[in-house]
Amino acid sequence: MDYLIIGFQDVLNPVTLFWVASGVTLGYILGALPGLGKATGVAVAIPLTFYLTPVAALGMLIGIAKGSAAGSAVSAILLNTPGEPSSAPTALDGYPLARQGKAQKALKMGLYASVIGDFLSTIVLIGLAAPLANYALLIGPVELCAILLFSLTFIGGLSGKSMIKGLIAGAFGVFFATIGLETETFVPRMTFGMLELDDGLKLVPLAIGMLAVAEMIIQAGNLKALDAETANIADGSSKDDREISHSEWRRCIPVILRGTVIGSLIGILPGLGASVGSFLSYGATKRASKTPEKFGTGMIEGVAAAESADNAVVPSSLIPLFALGIPGSVIAALLIAAFILHGLTPGPLMFKQQPRLVADVYAAMICASFIMLFIGYSGQRIFAMIIKVPLRLIIPGVLLLCTIGAYMETGSVFSIYVMLGFTLIGFFAKKLDFSFVTFLIGFVIGPNIELTFRQSLQLLDHRFSNLLHHPIALVFIILTVLTIWWLGWSSSVANSTPKSVEPVAQPSAANQDIHKKREE
Amino acid sequence: MSIFTRRGFLGASIALAISATALSTAALAADDYPNKPITMLVGYGAGGQTDLIARAAAQVMSEQVGVPINVVNKPGAGGAVAARELQQADPDGYTIMFHSNTVVNSAPFIMDRVDFKPDDFEYAGMITAYQVGMATQKDAPYNNITEFVAWAKENPGFSYGALSPEARLYMEEIAKKNDLDVNIVPLQSGSEMINALLGKQVVLAFSGGIHYRYTDELKSISALTSFRHPSAPDVPTIEEEGYPIAMDSRTVVMLPKDTPRAILDTLSEALSAAQTAENFNKVAAASDIPVMYLDVDAATKEMNDTYTKNKAIIEGASAN
Repeated sequence: MDYLIIGFQDVLNPVTLFWVASGVTLGYILGALPGLGKATGVAVAIPLTFYLTPVAALGMLIGIAKGSAAGSAVSAILLNTPGEPSSAPTALDGYPLARQGKAQKALKMGLYASVIGDFLSTIVLIGLAAPLANYALLIGPVELCAILLFSLTFIGGLSGKSMIKGLIAGAFGVFFATIGLETETFVPRMTFGMLELDDGLKLVPLAIGMLAVAEMIIQAGNLKALDAETANIADGSSKDDREISHSEWRRCIPVILRGTVIGSLIGILPGLGASVGSFLSYGATKRASKTPEKFGTGMIEGVAAAESADNAVVPSSLIPLFALGIPGSVIAALLIAAFILHGLTPGPLMFKQQPRLVADVYAAMICASFIMLFIGYSGQRIFAMIIKVPLRLIIPGVLLLCTIGAYMETGSVFSIYVMLGFTLIGFFAKKLDFSFVTFLIGFVIGPNIELTFRQSLQLLDHRFSNLLHHPIALVFIILTVLTIWWLGWSSSVANSTPKSVEPVAQPSAANQDIHKKREE
Repeated sequence: MSIFTRRGFLGASIALAISATALSTAALAADDYPNKPITMLVGYGAGGQTDLIARAAAQVMSEQVGVPINVVNKPGAGGAVAARELQQADPDGYTIMFHSNTVVNSAPFIMDRVDFKPDDFEYAGMITAYQVGMATQKDAPYNNITEFVAWAKENPGFSYGALSPEARLYMEEIAKKNDLDVNIVPLQSGSEMINALLGKQVVLAFSGGIHYRYTDELKSISALTSFRHPSAPDVPTIEEEGYPIAMDSRTVVMLPKDTPRAILDTLSEALSAAQTAENFNKVAAASDIPVMYLDVDAATKEMNDTYTKNKAIIEGASAN
């Protein structure tokens, strides 16, 4: 605590604050622009920070990561095109709110949820980094496999109107994720001899194509209607449309806290990432709601749930990095390089050898949270005007940014082809009302389940009884069974279609195997 | 066509100079090499260990040759995507690649669609070596492969972490020779490997050298190279213990085939300056990467030798 005070003394000077603020601002803008994301921003900025003091450099880089997680909500709400894949659930309710003339309200909730999630998660990082990281080590592949299996049951809650269509989309997501080298024998799967596919399809070009480009094309096909509608949107005619009311705050606070907890936990677990966090939080909120059918039509809770979790992931994914030296996310992996270059080797020794620099970084992170609030608040008035700009002016710019974003992921034109391919899929998915949310969940979680399942088989020595040594995994397997049973029971009561129970368990081959294993 | 677009970037006077050299032979063009920015391909994503070394080397080389060297990341298939692009570039020294030499000396034997041979490229030197080894927990009751084999016979069904085909090969060879019962756990990254070791999920893991950062918790029991690791000089190599399967890997500066020798020498000399450059050594030391410079001839010989050796090892292993 004493060190933290010294840390603030080191950070609270105009030069350092300037760099932290530029990082947050840059991140916020990058995040808000569809196509350009935080990983790109941090990777490009690392060489720029060679010339700064360690505190300013690290503060700036973390600022970019934090800012972009918050900024991505802006385009999700205003344009229905998430700035980052992890803000896709924000668009589900944020965009309807904006079309109802409540853009400012949605933006405010997105911002507040982001800042609260980010701030609380930063506090968790500062207070609990060391003890939590040791618990995270107890979560091995076996436990992770069971947790992921459990999280797949959320697909049921997120499929939209038709659970069957949601499951089909989820299965397609898993299918596309299987492309690339298989993890044990290194046999290329469905690469058609293209080396570019050996490492699999990348999330960024895929998500940009499905979410942003497809949405722009659909809107382009609808130009006249949307232009007419845009002319009619009177932004914030009443105070009720601009401000968040007390009753909305009351409803959203528990949602934000739940989102923060989910986001922080997902951040600590290795390899899951912000997209999983925000989708799970949205799914959990929808399930807990008394009016789940209203989600997708402009529920402010949806924005709060997705954004709080999305932002909570960023600081907590630094916990394994700080405490053990293990990068838990793409951002953390990029930061590890920057930390070492600036003389701070992440890991347990860091606290002993460089306590002052660690305290400085902590202080810079807290400052970044407040700067984010300030920048987001002053920026949203300007951003909200976008909703009044005719779409014919916005679409070309967004398409350009999307193309750049896809290209930068691998530095090759191939990524642009991937983006265009998935634009087509995204277009038809939207027209035919297949959920891209479940598709993305399948795409993100599917390969993790396959890998952890294969790892589990080896670690358990192919013996079912060894599962008894993994109580955490057992708990989650039981939870999964109960959830599926409950989903089946409630849907058979609701519309007497008991058929929808079974497919929940079938999005992937690996998944099926797990079920077999459990039945043994 | 490509000459015209490239010309577009240059000032009028330089454009004149280039059009003069473009007409002359490649050897003549080498005289005033380099006179424009050089593109350095890296076949891994930005921010990784090899990428950082590449960027530090690019900085040193750029100061030496007097033109900017722009690092461009082209990740994919362990560098094969970038190497294929290099193959198609003009042999004028303005497109170079900084990468692990595994893309030439072992990828062809592991990936069906990669058929690079040492002759397909020119080499302007090697600068660092990877300390590939077997890592385990500090308190593990074995300190070399022989002791490990003895332990493993008492503990059948143990778990070994592997993140590449080579990593599997090492353990499969050891297990075959000693009739061990091993479960090979697939891992996907160095950080996942560290996680598996620190979390005691596996008793042994293949490491590209990253484990030397965790000196308090982890130790090496074998160097999977033909030399002992500078970071752990007391740990024997796998060859010392009777398994002739060490496969060395180093970072190399590669150029398209038929690049004039003068250009290779210019770049090689620039690369050699990295041995003493402060910033480069700082980056290398931060990741426990030993600097071991080889010039054009030595690098080409190393590439040919390791190609032949690795081919015999990998094809011999899969033949059984």
